[in-house]
Amino acid sequence: MTGNGHNTQEELASYAMQGLPPEESASIRAHLQTCVPCRTELAQVCGDLALLGLAVEQQPLPEGARERFLKRIAASPAVKPQEKLAEVTPIDVKTRRRGPGFWVPWVSAAAMAIVAISLGVQNKALNDELNDESNMVKNLAAQASRAQQVLEVLTAPSAQRVTLTEGKAPAQPSARATYLPDRGALILLATNLKPLPEGKAYELWVIPANGKAPVPAGLFHPDAVGTATLVLPPLPAGIAAKAFGVTIEKASGADSPTLPIILSGATGS
Amino acid sequence: MAEVFDRYGRAVYSVALRILKDTGHAEDVMQEIFFQIWRNSDSFVQGRGSLGAWLVVVARNRSIDLLRRRKPVDSVDDVILASPGSLASEVEHNSMMEKVQKVLKDLPAEQQRSMELAFFEGLSHSEIAERTGDPLGTVKTRIRLALITLRKAFQS
Repeated sequence: MTGNGHNTQEELASYAMQGLPPEESASIRAHLQTCVPCRTELAQVCGDLALLGLAVEQQPLPEGARERFLKRIAASPAVKPQEKLAEVTPIDVKTRRRGPGFWVPWVSAAAMAIVAISLGVQNKALNDELNDESNMVKNLAAQASRAQQVLEVLTAPSAQRVTLTEGKAPAQPSARATYLPDRGALILLATNLKPLPEGKAYELWVIPANGKAPVPAGLFHPDAVGTATLVLPPLPAGIAAKAFGVTIEKASGADSPTLPIILSGATGS
Repeated sequence: MAEVFDRYGRAVYSVALRILKDTGHAEDVMQEIFFQIWRNSDSFVQGRGSLGAWLVVVARNRSIDLLRRRKPVDSVDDVILASPGSLASEVEHNSMMEKVQKVLKDLPAEQQRSMELAFFEGLSHSEIAERTGDPLGTVKTRIRLALITLRKAFQS
């Protein structure tokens, strides 16, 4: 669970791939019943997983597979859940007395009929719910499209970036990090950075609040006017940060920050 | 129904075969999935997205169930898929397949391996961490990043 009570993407991916213990799976299933955002994200994850399935090299069907299938369905007509109700035969209490073995199939049939009714009702409710969700997905897709536009404006190389300062003082190097610890999601926008020597790169560090070693959060190079962005670098989820720092490192990055720290800022929390 | 089988049978069978590595078992999974659709067309509803995409997810889940000798878990199949697009024609399917294969090939090797173990072998994150010797958090991150990369490639 994230801090705001939603399932994480990892949890939903595990759930979709049936990789969770039964109790965790049941817990997520219960949460999904009442949480539209998590259901929407689950749909996205399932869509992603479908892509993996669709990438599998196509194999020819075994000889006769089609004929076997057609023969099977020809022998077994399609049945709708509601139609199953018609198959239930009432038990005639006036018939002669029979042994307990006789009743077993009828009791089973009655139980199955009850299950069929229950499933039919449940299925209808689910279908209605899924249709509602389709509209919800469309709305979310529109929101996602706007978010994408915002991101493109922030990160487009052709975007003009101006740092406004008081008076006529020359703009100083600065950076703004936006970070969601529970998702490990980070966006950094830096401006007025100085050019780097050959073979060097700027590296962003997350300074964990628990006092552990700084975590490397990505390498970046400024463009001709000193602007650089770092969008969603691979970071583990759940690292609470007390500060961020930027250092200059070799182009391949470093395991620990090399002093001096060029830019730094505390989270204030 | 024959048309649906002709259109998606190979995709479903191929996923099952990739996981089960046994032509007989793979055909059993495929036959059972299409038979269930025949018996109960309500098992797929339009709102769930592409039928082809839904079928391959179901094929994957049923195959993993068989591989791990588990009881099928219906509820996981019972979701809408944010559809990767129409797969109605073979051309569309082939085009999609090539694009996904390229994205997967470009993933870092460890992300590919983690996804392979999770999706095609049905291992949990903890089991992958045990098998590869990597920290659990790293495994989770790799799978998350692989899925994000895949999603981004098809959103752009």
